[in-house]
Amino acid sequence: MLGLDFSWLGDATYQQWLLVGVTNTIELAAISSVAAVIIGMLGALALTLRIFWLEAIVELFVEFFRNTPPLLQMLFAYFTLSTLGLKVTDPATGLSVPLLSAFACAAISLSLFGGALAIEAFRSGIETMPRAIIEAARSLGYSRWSRFWRVEAPIATRICLPALTNILTNLFKTTSQASVITVPELMYYAGQIYNDNLRTLEVMLLILVIYVALVSVITFAMARLERWMAFPGYGTGR
Amino acid sequence: MIKNTVMSVLAIVAALSASTAMADTLADIKARDKLIVGVKNDYAPYGYLNDKGETVGFEIELAKYVAKELLGSEDKIELVPVVAANRIEFLTAGRIDAIFATLGITAEREKVIDFTTQYVSAGGPSVLMAGAAKISKWEELKGRQVCGIQGSYFNKKMTEEFGIELVNFKSQPEAYRALKDNRCIGMVFDDMTLQMKLREPDWSSYKIAVAPYEFAPMAGGLRKGETAFREAVDKAIHKAEGEGKLIEWEKKFGMPASDYIAQRAKAAASAN
Repeated sequence: MLGLDFSWLGDATYQQWLLVGVTNTIELAAISSVAAVIIGMLGALALTLRIFWLEAIVELFVEFFRNTPPLLQMLFAYFTLSTLGLKVTDPATGLSVPLLSAFACAAISLSLFGGALAIEAFRSGIETMPRAIIEAARSLGYSRWSRFWRVEAPIATRICLPALTNILTNLFKTTSQASVITVPELMYYAGQIYNDNLRTLEVMLLILVIYVALVSVITFAMARLERWMAFPGYGTGR
Repeated sequence: MIKNTVMSVLAIVAALSASTAMADTLADIKARDKLIVGVKNDYAPYGYLNDKGETVGFEIELAKYVAKELLGSEDKIELVPVVAANRIEFLTAGRIDAIFATLGITAEREKVIDFTTQYVSAGGPSVLMAGAAKISKWEELKGRQVCGIQGSYFNKKMTEEFGIELVNFKSQPEAYRALKDNRCIGMVFDDMTLQMKLREPDWSSYKIAVAPYEFAPMAGGLRKGETAFREAVDKAIHKAEGEGKLIEWEKKFGMPASDYIAQRAKAAASAN
């Protein structure tokens, strides 16, 4: 109908490019997702401590990384940090090379961006927690730490899971921007391929399907997790 | 229905192009007393805009020389800026008389247009590296990270044949920046562009470490079957070669001296 031609998929070089691309996309998404969740938890925990200067630092961090485009963060990390002096001497060649590779720049920037969003998600979970539960925990004699760990965190996690799903799927899709700083992920190789075979529509359709499939795995897993963790009689719990 | 419409449109287009092909371009040019040429205006040194906004360059000089030979004055010319994607359509549709716009000779194009004599032999990709680099062959780049530009026609060959790990950027400034930062050991790109880059003071410590593996002949493009016009243009180009004009223009636009142009000049001079 559209005269689609997928014969280029038989080309060994293209196959290798796609394979490497998918692997790098998954690796980048996995690293930055785990880091984002850890940053989110630590940040939210820091906010519950109600220490003035810690709160200020966390809020500054959130505002900075949530309000700047991840693409800009990546370009900044890739092109500017090394110029500002973040360099090492390569023992093999004696040349001074940037400390952070393209992949590291992308992973760090995505982790911080996702982390900033995750802090807000976890915070919203903690803040919407019914006061009665906290008071009950307090009256039962829980310490500040065990109250957070045994009462607030488990409930807050459940409340903010849907928001976290959104953040993680968004983070996965944002990995495509790393192609601009030459991280050889799926989008990067898609560009390589359609610039070479000029089958733009077919290549775009293919990577569209790959992204949908990969992101579906996340949303499916998160939905399962949500159901598994749900309180009986509350939300999706039965 | 749609198919029939398409077929009849194609038939009309074919008839029209046949009639333009039958016209005598050389006579038309003489009648209008102006040569209309498609040129690049974004591709130094062949055709680009100078500080005053004038289109200048190696191929512009050549086109002006042809105009002088055909019409007696190099000012009897109209320069139409073209890009790679539209230059052949401009020519076949009759909007220009000739293409002098970094046109490489390929079998595909040969089916649609005629070529003049091959006045330049342009290098394919070469590799720009730091002056201290010890690499001089494509094979030695295997498994190394080399900067490049997305969409370059040779990218696939680099992976397939030489096993180079390309680090491809969207635009040239980014790739040059990354090379300066030592993010890659070299930069692979069109040889002429890299040669011109070397002339900038910032890049004096760099060199072309790996020479092009291929040279592509470049020629002017003319409509098919215009024998009289083609012969007149070829005669003008040969005359320019014989007079050493092409070598003069090479120097004028800071191009590295090409053996091909020198040999052609010698051959043309002895033939004249």
